[in-house]
Amino acid sequence: MKIENAIAQMRKGVLELCILGIISKGEAYPSDIIRSLKEAKLIVVEGTLYPLLTRLKNAGLLDYTWRESTSGPPRKYYHITPKGREFLNQLLLNWNGLVHAVEESTRHLQQTTSDNE
Amino acid sequence: MNKVIHINLGGMPFIIDEDAYEALRDYLAAIHSHFRNSEGYEEITADIEARLAELFRESMGHRQIVTMKDVQEAIRIMGTPEVFEAEGESAAEGDAAPSGKQDAGAQPRWRTGRRLFRDPDDQVLGGVCSGLAAYLGIEDPIWVRLAFVLFTLSGGFGIPLYIILWIIVPEAKTASDRLAMRGEPINVSNIGKIIEEEMSQLSKRVSEFAEELGKEDWGGKKKSGRQRA
Repeated sequence: MKIENAIAQMRKGVLELCILGIISKGEAYPSDIIRSLKEAKLIVVEGTLYPLLTRLKNAGLLDYTWRESTSGPPRKYYHITPKGREFLNQLLLNWNGLVHAVEESTRHLQQTTSDNE
Repeated sequence: MNKVIHINLGGMPFIIDEDAYEALRDYLAAIHSHFRNSEGYEEITADIEARLAELFRESMGHRQIVTMKDVQEAIRIMGTPEVFEAEGESAAEGDAAPSGKQDAGAQPRWRTGRRLFRDPDDQVLGGVCSGLAAYLGIEDPIWVRLAFVLFTLSGGFGIPLYIILWIIVPEAKTASDRLAMRGEPINVSNIGKIIEEEMSQLSKRVSEFAEELGKEDWGGKKKSGRQRA
């Protein structure tokens, strides 16, 4: 078992939560979403995002509107739907539970590392 | 000088260098084959194409023509299917081949047979022998060349045969031609490899040329290398 794979799996797991979270702040263009995700080191290339957005849109969690752009063809701007907001809240609840679980099960390790410092 | 091609990408017209066009076409083919069986295939690929068009516009600025550099930069930002698989899509969805394990499944799965080309990278006269060697799977073209020489010396029609082949066999001009010549599958990572090789050869030629200029400062003429936009 490789550490890179384990880390990649963890990141994949939270990707949808993060995308919904970013879009819930307001209308977003894919390249803006990418910028936030890149800063968080969640994804590196833009191509990863398009299939995810399409899937979330087809599931009714996101929707988009076409907006004219100054430099070229109209762009798709994504926004979250009420269903998506509900979904995001559920994910967040579970996420908080997970954070708690991780803290509980690794508390002794975190204490030792801070003791060593 | 470079031939250019007119294309429509994501609803926008572009004029693109021929080599850049080949690279873009092969990249898009890999993208399409990767998403072919995904839900929302058409929408995903249309989104990607529209975004590539936008990236070209941004990196071109006031230039009129899309060059290889623009294509490479756009591909770097957009990423290749291999990377998508590693960082985005969960194993449960989307992927076409249930048999494909992580590494095998990441490659676009079409393969071309070998095709006969003249090899411009390894030529004594017209690259016929090295192209034939690649076609026949012979590692060193010296054996094909020797065979030609022996054939000619022993009274065969080696020279006219060579000239005929020189005329009728096309030169491997593009990255995908070269892959087809060697019988390697055409996918994004291979195209990238070829382009890298080409770039390093180009820079080698440039430095050789510069050296030569230094040596023959008093007016030694040398035919100029292929000019690139």
